[in-house]
Amino acid sequence: MTSTLSPPDVEPARRPPRDWSAIGLVMRKDLTAVRRSKAIMLPMILVPLVLLVAIPFGLGLFARSAATTQVSSALSSPMVHALVGPILALPEHEQLLVLVLGYLLSPLLLVIPLMVSAVLAADAFAGEKERRTLDGLLYLPISDRDLFLAKVLGAFVPALAITWLGAVIYAAISNGVGWPVMHRIFVPFSQWTLVMVWIAPAVALLALGLLVIVSSRARTTQEANQLGGAVILPLIFLAAGQASALLLAPLFAIFLVGVLVWAIALGLLVINGRRFTRDRLATSS
Amino acid sequence: MTDAIETCELSRSFASGPALDRLSITVEEGEVLALLGPNGAGKTTTVRLLNGILTPDHGSARVLGYDVTTQGDDVRRRTGVLTENAGLDDRLTTRENLVFTARVRGFSADAATKRVNDLLERFGMADRADDLTQGFSTGQRKRVALARALLHDPEVLFLDEPTSGLDPAGTRDVIELINSLSSEGRTIVLATHFLGEAGRLADRMAVLHRGHLRAFGRPGDLAAEIWQGIGARIDIGAPADAVTLAVLGAVPGVTEAEAAPDGARFRVANREVLPRVVDAVVSHGVPVYEVASSTPNLEDVYFAIEARILAEHGGAEVTDGFLRESSAPVPAEVAR
Repeated sequence: MTSTLSPPDVEPARRPPRDWSAIGLVMRKDLTAVRRSKAIMLPMILVPLVLLVAIPFGLGLFARSAATTQVSSALSSPMVHALVGPILALPEHEQLLVLVLGYLLSPLLLVIPLMVSAVLAADAFAGEKERRTLDGLLYLPISDRDLFLAKVLGAFVPALAITWLGAVIYAAISNGVGWPVMHRIFVPFSQWTLVMVWIAPAVALLALGLLVIVSSRARTTQEANQLGGAVILPLIFLAAGQASALLLAPLFAIFLVGVLVWAIALGLLVINGRRFTRDRLATSS
Repeated sequence: MTDAIETCELSRSFASGPALDRLSITVEEGEVLALLGPNGAGKTTTVRLLNGILTPDHGSARVLGYDVTTQGDDVRRRTGVLTENAGLDDRLTTRENLVFTARVRGFSADAATKRVNDLLERFGMADRADDLTQGFSTGQRKRVALARALLHDPEVLFLDEPTSGLDPAGTRDVIELINSLSSEGRTIVLATHFLGEAGRLADRMAVLHRGHLRAFGRPGDLAAEIWQGIGARIDIGAPADAVTLAVLGAVPGVTEAEAAPDGARFRVANREVLPRVVDAVVSHGVPVYEVASSTPNLEDVYFAIEARILAEHGGAEVTDGFLRESSAPVPAEVAR
C-alpha cells in the first residue's frame, strides 16, 4: 500500500512576494542576449544617432546661419500666433534656432522610446517563441507575474535609459550648435523637460503594451515587428506630429496628455499581465 | 513506499481535441516510470501538467505532495525537466545559460559557478563552457540541458525524449547517466517513444494513446495479463515442419507453437514442461541444439498493447505512422 507524501504547510490563497532577484536575473539575461544580437542593436544605435545627433546637428548649423526675417511672418497668422508666442517673443535672430531645435526636432525624441521598447518587447516575447527558449523559462520556479514583470522591465528600462541619454545628447548638441547665436542654454525648457520625464516613459510603456499583444499572436520576432510596425508607426507619426504643439502648450495640458497616455499604457499592461500565463505561453509556442 | 507523483483523473484538452483524458497514476519515490506512446499520445502534455505549466481542465495532480495547479512554483523548485527541445539561449554561452538557471533557483553567484563547473565537468562540456551554444550538436545541447535540469539536485526528474536526435554513442551515454541518476534514488519520469531505452531503465510503464491511459504497471505484470504461461524457443537448425510442430503441440502443457527460422517458438504453462518438449522432439529423431524460455520485455508488452489498439481501430493506421500494421501474431487475449 502506498501513501502520498504529506502536503507541506502552504497557504495557497496568499500571493507570494515579488522575487526581485529573479526578476533582475531574467532582465539581465535578456539584455545580455540582446547586446549580442546585431539585428537588434543596429537599429537601436543607428536610429537615435540619426534622429538625435545627425539631424539636429545639420539642421542646427543651417538654422544658425540662415536668414531669419521670414520666421515671424510665417508664424504670424492669427491661429498660429497664439500658440507660438514663446518663439515670437525671442529676438529675431534666435527664432529659427529655437523653432527648429527646440520645437520641431525635439519631438523626434518620442520616437526613441516607441521604437526601442517595441524592438525589445518583440524580442522578449515573440523572440522566445521563435528561438524555442520558452521552456527553459517556464520550468523555472518564478511566478507568471514576476516573469511578466521581468520581460516588461527588460524592455522598458533600456528604452527609457536610451531615451533619456538621447535627450541629454540632443540637448548638448542643440546648445552646442546654437551657442554662437544664443549664448545661453535654451534646451531643456520646462515643457520639453515635462515631455521627457512624464510623457516619454508613458509612450515607451504604451508601445510595449501594444507589442506584447502583437507578440502573443506572432510566431517570430520578424512577424511581431511587422505586425507591430502597423500599430506603432501611426503612433510614431502622431507623436512626432503632435509633440511640437504639445511643447507649446501649458504645463498643465502636457501633464493631462501624459495622464491619458499613462492610463492607456497601464490599462494595456494590466490586460497583458492577466493574459500572461504559463498555460497560454506553452500552448501558443 | 511513498508516492512522489499522484494524478487523479488529470485531463486537458486543446482546440484540436483532448490531449489527456482522466489520467490516474502514481509514481513511487525512487521509481523510474516510462511514459510511452507515439507522437501526440499526451506525454509532453502530462509532463507540462505535472510541472504546473499547463492547467488541467479536470482532475488533479500532486508532485512531492504539492498541488501542481496551486503550488506550481513549489513543484518546479523540486523538479528538474529535460525538454525535448533543449531550450538553450543560443546568444548566451554554456556557462551563462546554466548560471542564469542556477541563480534563479536560488544559488549565490559563487555557489552557482561552482555547481555549474562541477556539472560541466561531469557531462564532458567543461571545454565548451565559455562558447556560445549556437552551433552545438544535438548531443552537446542535450548534455547541457541535462546539466541544467540537475543543477538543483531535483528530487523528481522529468526527461522528455532524452535521446531523440542523438547518435548511438550519445544515446548510450545518456542512458548510462539516467541509470546512475536512478541508482541515486531519484524519481524519474521518462517520456519517450524509444522503447529500447525505456526497457533498460523503467520499473513501470504507462502507455498513452491519444491521451488515454491504455496500460499501467510493471512490464512483467502486464505481460502476465496479456500472455498466459512462458514463451520459449527451440533451435533445431531449420524451420520446424508440420510434423515437428504437431509433436510439439502434443506435449502436455504446450499451448501454442509456430515455426521460426531456426526451429519453433511456443508457449508453455511453466518451466517444467521444457524437458518434456526436448524429450518429445529428440525421440521424434530431430536434433535439438538449444531450448530457451523468454520473458517478454517492455518492448514486447508495448507492441502487444499497440496491437490491441490497432485491433480496436480495425487495423487502420491510427497515428502518424508509429502505430502500424504488425506482422507479429496478436495473442487471442490481446485482440479482444
